[in-house]
Amino acid sequence: MGRRTVVVIVAAVAALGLAAVPILLALAAPADLGGLAPAGDGSPSGEAINELYWFVFGICAVVFVLVEATLVLFVLRFRRRPETAAETEGPQIHGNTRLEIIWTIIPAVILVVIAVVVLARSPAVEATDGDRSNELVVRVEGHQFYWRYVYPDGEIALDTLVLPVGRPVRLEITSYDVNHSWWVPDLTGKRDAIAGQVNDLRLTPRREGSFDGGCAELCGILHAVMPTTVEVVSEEEFGDRLGALGGQDESGDSQLALGEATWEASCAKCHGPEGAGDIGPPVARLGTLVDEEALRELVTEGLDNPDVEGYMPPVGRGWPDFQLQALIEYIRSNEALAPPEGDGGGR
Amino acid sequence: MAVRTETAVPSWREGRVTGWLTTVDHKRIGILYIVTSFVFFFASGLMAVLMRAQLSQAGNEIVTEDSYNQLLTIHGTAMIFLFVVPILAGFGNYLVPLMIGARDMAFPRLNAASYWLFLLGGLVIFSSFFADSGAANSGWTAYTPLSTDEFSPGTGQDLWILGLHLTSLSSLAGAINFIVTIHNMRTPGMTWMRIPLFVWAIEAYAVLLVLVLPTISAAVTLLLLDRQVGTEFFAVENGGPVLWQHMFWFFGHPEVYIMVLPAMGMLSEVIPVFARKPIFGYKAIAFSTIGIAFASMLVWAHHMFTVGLPDYLQAWFMITSFSVAVPTAIKIFNWLATLWRGHLWFRAPLLFCLGFIALFTMGGLSGIMLATYPVDYQAHDSYYVVAHFHYVLFGGTVFGIFAGTYYWFPKMTGRMYDERLAVTHFWLMFIGFNAAFLPQHMLGLMGMQRRIYTYDRGGLFEWYNLVSSLGSFLMALAILVFVWNMAKSWRSGTRVGNDPWGADTLEWYATSPPAPHNFDRVPYVSSSRPVRDLRQRLRENGS
Ligand code: HEC
Ligand code: HEM
Ligand SMILES: [Cu+2]
Repeated sequence: MGRRTVVVIVAAVAALGLAAVPILLALAAPADLGGLAPAGDGSPSGEAINELYWFVFGICAVVFVLVEATLVLFVLRFRRRPETAAETEGPQIHGNTRLEIIWTIIPAVILVVIAVVVLARSPAVEATDGDRSNELVVRVEGHQFYWRYVYPDGEIALDTLVLPVGRPVRLEITSYDVNHSWWVPDLTGKRDAIAGQVNDLRLTPRREGSFDGGCAELCGILHAVMPTTVEVVSEEEFGDRLGALGGQDESGDSQLALGEATWEASCAKCHGPEGAGDIGPPVARLGTLVDEEALRELVTEGLDNPDVEGYMPPVGRGWPDFQLQALIEYIRSNEALAPPEGDGGGR
Repeated sequence: MAVRTETAVPSWREGRVTGWLTTVDHKRIGILYIVTSFVFFFASGLMAVLMRAQLSQAGNEIVTEDSYNQLLTIHGTAMIFLFVVPILAGFGNYLVPLMIGARDMAFPRLNAASYWLFLLGGLVIFSSFFADSGAANSGWTAYTPLSTDEFSPGTGQDLWILGLHLTSLSSLAGAINFIVTIHNMRTPGMTWMRIPLFVWAIEAYAVLLVLVLPTISAAVTLLLLDRQVGTEFFAVENGGPVLWQHMFWFFGHPEVYIMVLPAMGMLSEVIPVFARKPIFGYKAIAFSTIGIAFASMLVWAHHMFTVGLPDYLQAWFMITSFSVAVPTAIKIFNWLATLWRGHLWFRAPLLFCLGFIALFTMGGLSGIMLATYPVDYQAHDSYYVVAHFHYVLFGGTVFGIFAGTYYWFPKMTGRMYDERLAVTHFWLMFIGFNAAFLPQHMLGLMGMQRRIYTYDRGGLFEWYNLVSSLGSFLMALAILVFVWNMAKSWRSGTRVGNDPWGADTLEWYATSPPAPHNFDRVPYVSSSRPVRDLRQRLRENGS
């Protein structure tokens, strides 16, 4: 087999391969898009992002195919034939000003068009258009390594956010420790959680369902396991769910539930569900767990003993007192965790 | 410049080992740079393969969460500061004096100092794995507050800062050396419009380094002070976390072009030789190099579209980012036009150049998608970005580096590499690369965040990850073939003459390998292709 045949075959395979990739992908992904486009159609702003995605993707795909096809074509067409001597030169063309100008202007014009379209769609992407008078404002705090949500009347939820369908929402995203980024791809784009500043993310969930997301900004050792779920429910159910969170600041089921959620979302990820230790040391039955002052200091200052591997982040910055009390109440109620009576606890 | 000046060299500087340790010859320093950088490349490639092994299936436990973050940080840091930037300095060192007909770099001792600083920096960064609580683990971007003493206790992050300082000093000294050399030491007739395009690229590389390295040096110094002395530059009440991001990316984005421009310069050298044509649009390529360098300093906040900048800044940084695409496109078109009507000679250097064009185009276009800031709201900090920058850095720069390595191997060693192995290397790498990184675009859009050590989704998501990991193993195999080829050919490849390729530029006029003083005489330069001119003259005189 001559060198030429080899080249032709290789190039043909390469060309076919290139062409086949998008087709195969499209076939392989009948149900969802299989990653050909962002997931987010759960809100109009997510949808606006997707429209822009397809618009720019279309243009890029055409440019891609043109450039790659030209490359393959030139490779096939201008390969050196066996009869051509090694020294033989091609035509000594040094350039062509008109061509240069043309292929400078064409990409520039394409990019201007993209920019104009994007800027025109910007209000839809940011969801600043339309009537937002009955906006629901939820505070979103990224913590190492959980999400803390605060509803308008101060109800606290951890890792799971419930939103009413069809109602405009503004998430006020911030952090008390390192940077995080709140991202639920099915709903819309992400927004960073940064200490000392509040970033607004507006969206209007438009269908009911449960949508998974997580933290997109490297935030430390458990960055990968800092998931969140957004449950979009009817306005009526939303009222019920929110009502069930009421009374977190007085003793009762609500308080215990908040305490349990706090333990699960925060402490358990490092100390294990039963406090038996994981990437953090075992803490079950330690007096500190029920000593309000000691625990407050621990969760707001963190802890880094030089002789212990790893460090305990200040996971409780920004907690109101009642959340700390709820945690303590929950720990007291949990047999595996609660220290023996009379030990520590200060009560 | 053909005056020969002999300096007395003490004999202990001529030994087989001491000769290399004490060398101030730009060619030896260049080779030291290149070999050392490749060693760092293999080490950080190994880390990448480990990470990919960990991610090949849901819930794997090959490395722990903490080691993953360390591997990730050192892989990224080393690939950038210890492989790409220094290896380009290595090629620049080796080639710039030869290409412009000079005898050495302007400051040979400073040049040696640059190399040793770089080596030291590399050793510090790699040995930080042995520090208490391990190496730095806050990513190559070391965002505050994560990288402050509160959230990254332990010495790993401090060693990372030290390593960065050392390599930055090395690059800064090297860059100044390049600039002085290129401005002052060109042989008669070598006007600015006649210097090889690779030299243009090194000029842009060096100027950019001088302009932006001080920013990262300042940033890591402030971080060090915050960590060790108790200052609060990046504290919320003062500069705030976003200040670090501005400083980092003001350096970080030009850094990307620092890494790609010289590789593009290599393409502009290799493609004409193997197409047997002059480069199409010399001036357009030279000016687009400068254009890219300039524009690259205006785009940094496109890495920060999700930190909550005001709308007008989002728009501004989108538009400036688009504006970098234009000179980049010009280069691609010019290379294609150089191929047009050529007699393409399919040797490994050309194959890698074609690979560069094919893959860099992909990376450039996904860059446009990312610069479209609403799209970035979804794609940012996801695997889409990981795919994008590997397409430009690996598919682009590293393929260019391999093209250059094969192309100049005969010049550096006086021997030819093994073509069969080189072609095998190319195809393994091309296929492995696409398998590894193409699916990552899809993963990102499906919601896979970057820098995660594990995931729990199955189905297509897991399949894509598996394919990506298998691709990375294939690339590792390709690298083994490359190493074998280099080792074997350096020792026993067939010997070659001055100019095995029929090339254009002055380095091919020197012997292979060149004598310590490079040239006995440098031909007068009357175009950008002096060696071809010489061939033509000889042919005309002969007939
Ligand atoms: C990111 C992981 C992590 C999280 C989340 C975390 N801890 Fe810790 N915790 C640690 C580590 C690591 C230590 C050991 C620190 C040291 O001694 O340097 C520790 C130490 C402690 C100690 C002290 C143990 C001792 O021997 O004195 C207590 C008590 C404790 N944690 C309770 C909690 C509680 C309560 C929560 C939830 C509100 C929590 N931790 C959340 C990692 C964590
Ligand atoms: C051997 C082939 C390579 C493989 C298999 C590979 C793989 C990876 C992987 C798995 C990650 C981690 C992604 C994440 O968890 O977010 C990563 C990150 C990275 N890689 Fe590579 N890589 C390779 C080569 C390169 C090269 C050549 C460069 C640069 C020239 C490079 C630059 C980076 C950078 C900058 C990061 C980001 C690190 C960070 O997030 O801090 N890689 N790579
Ligand atoms: Cu996070």
